[in-house]
Amino acid sequence: MNAVHRPSQAGAVSTAPILRTQNLTVRFDEFPAVREVDLSIADGELRVIIGANGAGKSTLLDLLCGKTLPSEGEIWLRDRNITGIGEAAIARSGVGRKFQTPTVFKDMTVLENLQVASNRRVRVFENLFERVKGRPSDKEVAVAERTGLLGSMKRKASELSHGQLQWLELAMVLSQEPKIILLDEPAAGMTAAETDKTAELLLDLAGGHTVLVIEHDMAFVRRICRTITVMHQGAVLAEGTAEEIERNPAVIEAYLGSATLSHA
Amino acid sequence: MTYRTASIIAYIVFFAVVLALPLVLNSFWTNRVAIYLVYSICAIGISMSWGYAGILSLGQGLFFGMGAYMLAMSLTLAVPENNPVPQLMLLNMEPNAVRDLCCVTTGSFLWIPFRSIAVGMIAGIVVPCVLAAGIGYVMFKRRTTGVYVSIITLAFALIGQLLIINNQPLTGGFNGLADLALLEIGGFEFDPYGPSAYYAVALTLIAVILLARYMLTGRIGQVLKAIREDEARARYLGYDVENYKLFIFCVSAGVAGLAGMLFTLTSEFATPSLMATSLSISMVIWAATGGRASLLGACIGALIVNFVGSLASESATFQPVWPIILGLLFVVVVLFMPNGIAGIFKAFIDRPGKAERLGGAKLAGKTERSDKAELLVKSELSAREA
Repeated sequence: MNAVHRPSQAGAVSTAPILRTQNLTVRFDEFPAVREVDLSIADGELRVIIGANGAGKSTLLDLLCGKTLPSEGEIWLRDRNITGIGEAAIARSGVGRKFQTPTVFKDMTVLENLQVASNRRVRVFENLFERVKGRPSDKEVAVAERTGLLGSMKRKASELSHGQLQWLELAMVLSQEPKIILLDEPAAGMTAAETDKTAELLLDLAGGHTVLVIEHDMAFVRRICRTITVMHQGAVLAEGTAEEIERNPAVIEAYLGSATLSHA
Repeated sequence: MTYRTASIIAYIVFFAVVLALPLVLNSFWTNRVAIYLVYSICAIGISMSWGYAGILSLGQGLFFGMGAYMLAMSLTLAVPENNPVPQLMLLNMEPNAVRDLCCVTTGSFLWIPFRSIAVGMIAGIVVPCVLAAGIGYVMFKRRTTGVYVSIITLAFALIGQLLIINNQPLTGGFNGLADLALLEIGGFEFDPYGPSAYYAVALTLIAVILLARYMLTGRIGQVLKAIREDEARARYLGYDVENYKLFIFCVSAGVAGLAGMLFTLTSEFATPSLMATSLSISMVIWAATGGRASLLGACIGALIVNFVGSLASESATFQPVWPIILGLLFVVVVLFMPNGIAGIFKAFIDRPGKAERLGGAKLAGKTERSDKAELLVKSELSAREA
């Protein structure tokens, strides 16, 4: 992999990685959608993955959360190999995934959505005689406030705006108390004001949570990010700060000029 | 009146009417209504799996029929002439076979435990549950969803029906089990045409409704609803979706088996027609008409459809076209009233015009109140922050 260029990670958190992939590869009909990705995310890091359409970003997240099974390679969460243990087990071990198009329980209220998400006793017989509270718990109030949904607790999710749906899904992922949060284009389809609010929210999360974000919008990336990973044709092309990435010749070549990257 | 209050009142009224009916019905109608109530229990089973978890089983008749057969086997052996070997086996045995339940016909030893009525009654619930666990395990672990679940369950019901028809020396075949003793528990005999069998059905129905409602308004109901809404999201929140589906599918099968036993109790026979596709689909129509996501709605749907159906069967004009009417009813319900009778009830209780007719005062009061509630939450919050 000659194309990989790894500048020193100035400012990156130096503790042991919370999430690590080794030679992660997936092929669809012999076509490698993700190729030999070695990713290492430190505890408390806010990492952004950028790349053109079809670069394998979303597929990478699909691999990490168990939606897609890797053809080769391993995924480690701290010291646990979570490769192929199934989506639900991966989620329980501490990986939270937010999708690009919000997936929430549309016919349920915001509170019910949060209750289902925050319930950590997930087995059938643990829930058999469990009652559901009509009022939000402290935890649910806190997460709703953080995502600006406190006033909408009793509303059905289907009545929310697109931006609110994105935040609801984020709130649900937060309620899971995951060790790492995977976000697929969290600001997709949002208005400028909503995008601003999302950026603030992500920066606010960055302290206490480990977050891995996929993003297209470079302006948004510059606002929220410390370390950027660039993907190209399924492989990691470069890793570094925004300035380093924009000066990187391999990245510039891949994107046919830095102008394209800035507007990607 | 809130929807919650209204539905509690509806439940109480329904229970009261069900319990009072034998006082005004003759023995023929007591028996008929008891059978309709048995169908209501079936509809509750459908509502639990389809309405709450989105699993549309078209093979519910398999579990219903199994329940019916389990009790019918015990009641067959309770008839003195059927000892030591049931008549149906004597008619079908090899000429030189030993006249004992162990080996009179192939597989006849399976009947031995059913000499005990208690075994028959327990098997009536356990066998359908175990059967559903097997079918469900294969389906759900392979992540079969939607219409494929319907097709697979339908196929299993057909297989069950064929197995029973084709094993006449063991099962009584096409004729089923018809020469039954009355169920007797502790010296008390249940008369299918008297209030005793009726109340056995009615009290079981009420118990099933209350237990199902308790369960489905709790955490597990919430998770099942979430799974119905978005299975993948539930998985990414850490729920083993397959286990939840398997659980509710088995419970639903157990409820159908229980209904099957009560059918044997009230109808005094069990035939392979109980596993026919038409009955399984009828159960879905009952639940859909009443409102699949409402336990009481499904119950009432079963009562109404069967009552109208039995009136139609007495009329020379309507009797031949009843299946067509039933089919059309299903189409109309699915297209125009997806929540069935329960949906109409809810729309009536929550109708927007109600507040306006009260001079708008109540509406205004309501908004003010919800604002207050919001303020309350906010002030609670700031207090917490401080």
